[in-house]
Amino acid sequence: MSTQTARRSADILIVDDNPGDVRLTVEALNDGGMQNSLHTARDGAEAIAFLRRQGKYGHAPRPDLILLDLDMPRMGGLQVLAEIKEDRALKDIPVVILTGSHDIEDIVKTYNLHANCYVTKPIDLEQFIRLVKSITNFWLTIVNRRRRTAN
Amino acid sequence: MSQMLEMNQQTAKPEAMADESKQSKELFRALFYRSPIGTYIVQNGQFRLVNRQLAYISGYEEDELIGRPSLGFVLAEDRDIVRENALRMLKGECSLGYEFRIVTKQAKIKWVMETVAPVLYQRKRATLGSLIDVTERKLVEERLRQSTLETQRSNAELEQFAYVISHDLQEPLRMVSSYTQLLAKRYRNKLDADADEFISYAVEGAKRMQTLLHELLEYSRVGTRGKPFSLVNCEHVVDQAMANLKIAIEECGAMVSYDVLPTVLGDEGQLVRLFQNLIGNAIKFRREEPLQVLISAQRRQHVVTFSVQDNGIGIDPQHSQSVFEIFRRLHTTEEYPGTGMGLAICKKIVERHGGHISVQSQPGKGSTFYFTINMAGGESA
Repeated sequence: MSTQTARRSADILIVDDNPGDVRLTVEALNDGGMQNSLHTARDGAEAIAFLRRQGKYGHAPRPDLILLDLDMPRMGGLQVLAEIKEDRALKDIPVVILTGSHDIEDIVKTYNLHANCYVTKPIDLEQFIRLVKSITNFWLTIVNRRRRTAN
Repeated sequence: MSQMLEMNQQTAKPEAMADESKQSKELFRALFYRSPIGTYIVQNGQFRLVNRQLAYISGYEEDELIGRPSLGFVLAEDRDIVRENALRMLKGECSLGYEFRIVTKQAKIKWVMETVAPVLYQRKRATLGSLIDVTERKLVEERLRQSTLETQRSNAELEQFAYVISHDLQEPLRMVSSYTQLLAKRYRNKLDADADEFISYAVEGAKRMQTLLHELLEYSRVGTRGKPFSLVNCEHVVDQAMANLKIAIEECGAMVSYDVLPTVLGDEGQLVRLFQNLIGNAIKFRREEPLQVLISAQRRQHVVTFSVQDNGIGIDPQHSQSVFEIFRRLHTTEEYPGTGMGLAICKKIVERHGGHISVQSQPGKGSTFYFTINMAGGESA
């Protein structure tokens, strides 16, 4: 219960190369008036730099949740996922695969790489908004996790 | 012909009849020289005796062949085949009907099929060979092989193409669809009535295109993402299909029943989809009266013919072929929603299982879909 009452503004990292998708996710995240700090990475390499606070990301916060697309240039989502889950400092950050693909092969691969869950973006906007809300609600308020500031 | 007449004249004479040796010689001559098969005797690697048909096949005169090395006519790359078979013959093994290429006097390459047997000729070991020209057959075989390969290649390419476009078009379409919906959500009643109408058409169009692409993707996946065949109990398959349609079946109060259904060799997921589409089709195109669907199967040798019979609105016989084409619809979206892909997917699944699908219908009374599938297991052998 304390996690819910102590709910601070969360840092969410959106990793997606399509600005239209990023904006849509941002719109969905802001829809209910939830005030989270949203960060974006345009591809896998940027995401890894952000998470490891490299280069211009020297002061980047540690995200509470990562929303990861699969199909990206330079470094794809599967590789980003593998790097996160192999990194002792990052592996406990929940990674939600949020992608346009229904491909069963992608689904199997991501779970084998320890994705926390795999979600296909629905075509319908209202469904998408509901989906994003339930993802953030689940990972940021329902689930018991070690939280830096709350503890 | 002249030799035949000669023989008849000889057999007519009683004194000649006694000479059995002479008669068999004549018989041999007639068989040998008149045979429509190229026939020859080879001794020490050279032609000793040849008939007219061999001369015809090789393009040489008969006397040009005598004394020539027989291997000399064989295309260099194929000489080992001929040598191997000669050795096999010497060991008393089978050396029948092997094929190789020869070069004719006119430098044409012909395919021939040869059989050899050891004989004695003038009291010495020799080989009796017979040979037929199979060039035409080989050409037809090669053409058939090429066109089969070509068809397989172009089918695979087409499937891949359908897969890629339907997959890759989804992303941009999702953008169009999401943002028109966002426009509608945020600006409805804030612009004028025209704007609201335009936005609603854009939203509907994008949604519909999404459904079409999804179905096209399903269609292409029948070929590209099919599972290996295993033994599948068709009663379980129909149960699964009915479970997937549970709500629709309950809503319209349909009676779906099936006879004893066999086990077949197939892709279970695809067979569920097949029955689901056919039953779903019956539900969609039902009449006012309660819907009845009966599924049965009849087995003849290795082939099972399934039938899915309904008492729905039926299909005009002139459309009984075209209903299986992709995106084929016989009704407007307002009358019956849908993409026109359901039966095309059925056809593709049935064809992947080596069968074919058809429909017989009486408009206003009902339709019966028939499809065939090869029977599995040893019991059908």
